[in-house]
Amino acid sequence: MKFLCVPCDRPMKLEETRSDRGSIALTYGCPDCGYEFAMLTNPMETQVVGSLGVKIGGDAPSAGAKCPFTGVVQELNDSGADDGFPWTPAAEARMANVPEFVKPMVKTGIEKFARDGGHARVDEQVLDKAKGFFGMD
Amino acid sequence: MKSYYDIVGDGGSKIVEQVVEQRERIARSLSAVRHRVAVGSGKGGVGKSTLTSEIARALRRRGLGVAILDADLNGPSQARLAGVAAAPLVPGPDGGLCMSRSADGIGVVSVGSLVPESQAVEFDSVVGGDSHIWRATREFAFLGQLLGAVRWGELDFLLIDLPPGAERTYQYAEFLGPDTAFVLVSTPSELARGIVSRSVAALRGTPNRLLGYVENMCGYYCAGCDEVRPLFPESEAPDFGVACFGRVPFDPELARSGGTAAPGTRDLLDGVAARLASAAEQESP
Repeated sequence: MKFLCVPCDRPMKLEETRSDRGSIALTYGCPDCGYEFAMLTNPMETQVVGSLGVKIGGDAPSAGAKCPFTGVVQELNDSGADDGFPWTPAAEARMANVPEFVKPMVKTGIEKFARDGGHARVDEQVLDKAKGFFGMD
Repeated sequence: MKSYYDIVGDGGSKIVEQVVEQRERIARSLSAVRHRVAVGSGKGGVGKSTLTSEIARALRRRGLGVAILDADLNGPSQARLAGVAAAPLVPGPDGGLCMSRSADGIGVVSVGSLVPESQAVEFDSVVGGDSHIWRATREFAFLGQLLGAVRWGELDFLLIDLPPGAERTYQYAEFLGPDTAFVLVSTPSELARGIVSRSVAALRGTPNRLLGYVENMCGYYCAGCDEVRPLFPESEAPDFGVACFGRVPFDPELARSGGTAAPGTRDLLDGVAARLASAAEQESP
């Protein structure tokens, strides 16, 4: 979807994103005249676009900490599933490239391995131990 | 006034760019995989998953590098079949996800090792209900992310175990791209053959190669009398217009977790794998 400032015949630019209970507010502005408007989604629209696994607002600052589409969905997911099992920054860093949809399932499995092994947190040693235990390359 | 096509980009949302990036990430991840073969049917309950697992074993016996992606998110079985149901995906130092391997060295990526069998496979949502509207999109996006995130490494074959549904077979052809070849699984039942015919017709409308089919459950192997007994009424071989890679009996031993095929069944599976490998090589672009 693209937006056009009709008087200026200029494409509008995404300026800011906000999220609120499944709704996303995307503020666009005209680079020429400065006119601004906001597109407000309902939760179903948010969900449909979010199901593509994309983030909206790559160029725009987010008013909240969460990314507008997958971030909102992730926020709800996290609120129910995360019991605060600690990860060290180095172990977290290894998860940085794991996609948002996959991350919760991966984390749950690793945390179970850590708990079952009597570890108090997930660090790089635990990750390497899991790799060795399950015969991974 | 400018039209949609006059405007370059989308003002900052970058939706299209992200979708393209997802596809590029998948292509990079699979760049060292020689053959991608999706095993489908259209019909449920014909033994796709078991056959996929056994074909992988047979390919492995030929000394080939093999992995399985279990694309049946809602009825995942490959983790259990491979004995890796308790093995999570683990991020390596490079951030790529390391896959678990069966005892015979087959890589396996399955939701069955990520979600306990006591739990339904659920996806989080900001809407209450109406999952019929967005769930399929979410599942394909999830699979795409999984394909792009796993460190598949060098493989001769990546077998993709598809869920049932003739129309789903078509959707997976589009999703996996034209470089993915297909093998279909049928049984001697008229019901299964009719639905497999629909899948054949659906795949004819795609650029994907349909390598052949396997007829499963052609009798059952009786361990007591060491012979194959009839399971379905005698009928003529179907004419799907593609090569038959073999006719394999139902082997009750394979229904057990970690079960091993009887020698006769294993010979038939070796023949299926040999014909599949040959067809994949010959028709490779």
